Amino acid sequence: MFTYVVRRILQSIPILFVVLTLVFVVVRVLPGDPAVAALGDYASKEAVEALREKMGLNAPLWLQYIRFLGSLARGDLGISAITGYPVAQQVVKVLPHTLELTFCAIVFGYLLGIPLGISSAVKRNTFVDYFNRVFSLLGLSVPAFYLGILLILLFCIQFPLFPVVGAGDFSRPVENLRHLFLPGLTLGLLMTAYVTRMTRSSILDTIREDFVRTAYAKGVAERVVLYKHVLRNAMIPIVTLGGLYAVVLIGSSVMVEIVFSRPGLGKLMVGAIKQRDYTTLQSVMVIYAVIVVMINLAIDLIYGLIDPRIKYD
Amino acid sequence: MEETLIMQSQRRKMWSAFARNRTALIGAVVAIIIVLVAVFAPVLSPYDPLAQDSYARLAPSSEAHWLGTDDFGRDILSRIIWGSRVSLIIGISSVLLGLLAGTLLGMIAGYYRGKIETTIMRGIDVLMCFPDLILAIAVTAVLGANLVNLIITIAIVMTPRFARLAHGSLLSIKEREYVVAAQSIGARVPRILRKHVLPNIFGELLVAATLWVGVAIRLEANLAFIGLGVQPPTPTWGNMIREGVDVLINAPGISIYSGLSILVTILAFNMLGDGVRDMIDPRLRGA
Amino acid sequence: MRTSIRAMTLLVLLLCFPMIPSHGHAEGLAKEQVLTIAFDAGDAKTFDPHRAASTVDRSTVDSMFNGLVRYPPGRQVGFEPDLAESWEVSKDGKTWTFHLRKGVYFHPFPGFPEGYELTSEDVVYSLQRAANPEHSAYAGEYEGVQVKAVDPYTLQIQIAKPISETLFLAKFANYAGGFIVSKKALETKGEDWFKTHPVGTGPFRFENYEPQQKTVLARHDKYFRGKPILEKVVIRYMPNVSSREFGLRTGELQIIEGLNEAKWIEKVATFPDVKVQTFGPCEVQMLHFNMTKKPFDDIRVRKAFCYAVSRAEVAAFMGESLAEPIYSGALAPPAPGALTKQEAEEAGVVYEDNVEMAKKLLAEAGYPNGFETEVIISELATSYRKPMVALQAQVKKAGINMKKLKVVDHSSFHGLIRDDASPLVYYACWRPNVDVFLTRFFHSDSTVVSGKKPDTNFSHYGTVDADGDGTIDTIDQLIEQARWELDAQKQADLWRKAQIQLLSDVSHLPVIRLKYAFPMKSYVDLGHPLEYSWQTYSPQITEKTRILAH
Repeated sequence: MFTYVVRRILQSIPILFVVLTLVFVVVRVLPGDPAVAALGDYASKEAVEALREKMGLNAPLWLQYIRFLGSLARGDLGISAITGYPVAQQVVKVLPHTLELTFCAIVFGYLLGIPLGISSAVKRNTFVDYFNRVFSLLGLSVPAFYLGILLILLFCIQFPLFPVVGAGDFSRPVENLRHLFLPGLTLGLLMTAYVTRMTRSSILDTIREDFVRTAYAKGVAERVVLYKHVLRNAMIPIVTLGGLYAVVLIGSSVMVEIVFSRPGLGKLMVGAIKQRDYTTLQSVMVIYAVIVVMINLAIDLIYGLIDPRIKYD
Repeated sequence: MEETLIMQSQRRKMWSAFARNRTALIGAVVAIIIVLVAVFAPVLSPYDPLAQDSYARLAPSSEAHWLGTDDFGRDILSRIIWGSRVSLIIGISSVLLGLLAGTLLGMIAGYYRGKIETTIMRGIDVLMCFPDLILAIAVTAVLGANLVNLIITIAIVMTPRFARLAHGSLLSIKEREYVVAAQSIGARVPRILRKHVLPNIFGELLVAATLWVGVAIRLEANLAFIGLGVQPPTPTWGNMIREGVDVLINAPGISIYSGLSILVTILAFNMLGDGVRDMIDPRLRGA
Repeated sequence: MRTSIRAMTLLVLLLCFPMIPSHGHAEGLAKEQVLTIAFDAGDAKTFDPHRAASTVDRSTVDSMFNGLVRYPPGRQVGFEPDLAESWEVSKDGKTWTFHLRKGVYFHPFPGFPEGYELTSEDVVYSLQRAANPEHSAYAGEYEGVQVKAVDPYTLQIQIAKPISETLFLAKFANYAGGFIVSKKALETKGEDWFKTHPVGTGPFRFENYEPQQKTVLARHDKYFRGKPILEKVVIRYMPNVSSREFGLRTGELQIIEGLNEAKWIEKVATFPDVKVQTFGPCEVQMLHFNMTKKPFDDIRVRKAFCYAVSRAEVAAFMGESLAEPIYSGALAPPAPGALTKQEAEEAGVVYEDNVEMAKKLLAEAGYPNGFETEVIISELATSYRKPMVALQAQVKKAGINMKKLKVVDHSSFHGLIRDDASPLVYYACWRPNVDVFLTRFFHSDSTVVSGKKPDTNFSHYGTVDADGDGTIDTIDQLIEQARWELDAQKQADLWRKAQIQLLSDVSHLPVIRLKYAFPMKSYVDLGHPLEYSWQTYSPQITEKTRILAH
């Protein structure tokens, strides 16, 4: 097990290295000049030149690349080219908001999705099933930003139940939850759709398995079979695959952050692109890559823990 | 001879399954209608989507403008009709491009194994290190936003998905007798891939492609909403929502109707994709 | 007159609130004196006053810093004392002496928990910093300026060549490089620290900043004009206008940056508890013709273009409550020396609203069937896309087909136009005085790509023969002459002369100017009138700003 983990981590290193190079290249070929973006169009040419020099943009590309790798190796994400804030500090401030949003969406997804999926599977090809299936298809189809706007109009303006501005303060949990509810629900409905579909098909798969037929044949009550045999076995893929969707949710959180004017990693990235903030942009992209790699690693490991047929050697 | 008969009867079964699947049928009908709207946009739209009427800006719905006008005085209905073109062109062609590139890469990797496979699949892994939208945002920012670049961007996002799918399916059927047999009689690689491998993984790719058209359309809308979509004044649904949101208090219809159009289109492709999967995957048929 | 009105208002206020205690709140004031203002920005870019350039950053530093003199808040015509109580100029016009106000304290910062008193040393340090391109975006303004401290409350500024008071004081007012920063904060804590912990003398001090969310300013108890009424000012970064509008409606925000769309503003004004005030200075929108590119090298073509345009129609398209036609690119009055419509008409340099004339001129120039051209514009809707599509539709009637408006994002736009990539450059901006306007847009040195100090001379005026008489047309000498003219009247005349020459050579087409709109809750009392706010482009928040009971 331990050697497997070490090997998986070692395997990730070359990939991350290529990712870093890719990020570096992507950020360098962005059109526009970060120095001009930082100073505004009224700034004098000399000031722009001075800032370019200071930002290290006049150095040859290979040197910039080495500096980039070097500072990353020291765990230093650099200083934002625009605001002068250490990027790490910015990330530390916004990342919890993205994670909290994603986590909230996953909770919503399981809370709503599993009951829907079960009822769909149990009452398949009835009205309940059709309704749930259309509902989950809707969840998959509606763009998060559109849903967000509709929810704001309904629950902030028409019925002013929730605040619309910004994210809450972590030190005030109740206020924080009030701020989190609608964004979490917006993203959560997407997760609900995934979970409903997974639960339904996983249960239907399990029902066909021999042990379930045997249980039925033995005359065990349907309800007992369902909850004791089917659900327990069907949950394995639901829980592990759920992790995979965390990646999708982290990506989609950008839109929710924009609509609800919440801070977050995605918004940091979009802002960095608009302002040509090279240092922030490359760091945020690296962080995304690391998060995805870590989630994938975690899924692999959890898979092995749950399913004893998989051996790590 | 016997084989063709079996295939025919299989095909008939598939069709009847499809026809019985109401969701799929509805999806297919709606998708066809949307495609028709896009094709006949010039005939169907009451106005030129770019024509401005400075005296009827942000007008409410009326007989002249069924859904009202936007802040440039352009007819919203006409823009929604024309917007279907951009969404469909981007959605379908980026998926096709991704399908082509991804399948090719996946099959090459799966067939040759060894170094080629490692290189290709590691490259795919690198692209898969970013959530879709994040990768799309970065690539569009670099390429610049226009129709062609957006297609390329979304195709780049789609390629790794198709590559993994093709690669995985190929590995699972590679050892089957007919492939081995074809190899042993010295059939050439492209021929083996085309004649024996592709037809067998085609169904799976088709299902994925249909479902991912929806994903691609949504990606485009997301990019547009961020401001990285096809540049104005080209009418696209994403742009219309973005611009409509600004004037939500004057003309809520702009955002709401264009959002509904996106929703319905993606929904149609998802329903269709689900239906096609049920049809092809006999395990789920009737489930 | 104005002073007496203000005195009266003050008196009335004093009568209404006979005792405003320093703690607790008087009747008529809201209990919580926290003002939240939301801007159209993704994030702060800087808190360094010598770098701040965007609307939100300028507004933030405006509440934290002072200059030697200041523009009266909300009116901004003329100068009044700020950190300097009085000033005088030597006979030769080269030495200016400023007498500083006593008892001005900097905000507290680590090492100086009580702040410390401002002296001439701080001013000297600050102005030298403003002149250093490494730390300041406005270094160019301070070339040839020598500053020295005479005693702790007196300082002398020497300039190589005398200039008018209008131009001189502008460099030392509460704007850009004129903001005075704390020497001790910079020396003890360093430049990097200062960037994220600004220390000034203004009514509000920096409290904290959350990326992409907000910056919180707290009241500076020792502010020299008196303790501010507001306890806190929260500056929110909210790039979506709908989110800002939602926040205003729910009362989570008290002031928001509006949308420059007349219909939107009319609608917002109908919300309960909301007032909308539009104010200047107005963003000036001009179209520059690149005179090195065909067909715009021909003055007849440029003139034809102008004749094809109806400014009134563009203004109507943008909404008359916000937009009005302009006849010179330089800011129309109150800026001294800016050409008015009447003056332009008298000089015969108003070309507009005559499609027949446009067609005739095009035919003369050899384009009887018109021509096609491609234009690069920025993605920003109100400053670029809306006016440009209005122009596009108008000139089409004369046969000029701007067949493609290539829309690019705003930073790319600024790069491309400086590379001469577009034959027509629509540019929306505001410049503080006519000298800056003329120098940066029409001095030959400022010519894009090829000038000595390439800047924003997109028309290449001063390097080409504009009117086709075989000689190169330039206003370089006029600009310089006006700059060094001490007599305000003569200076204004020279500036008008330069503008008339530009217009008769049709280097650019002045189109419209757009006012700004910041809807706010009706219970917000800014404490000053709001007519002009060109330093911040937003309502200034001062020590007098307060929230009334509601």
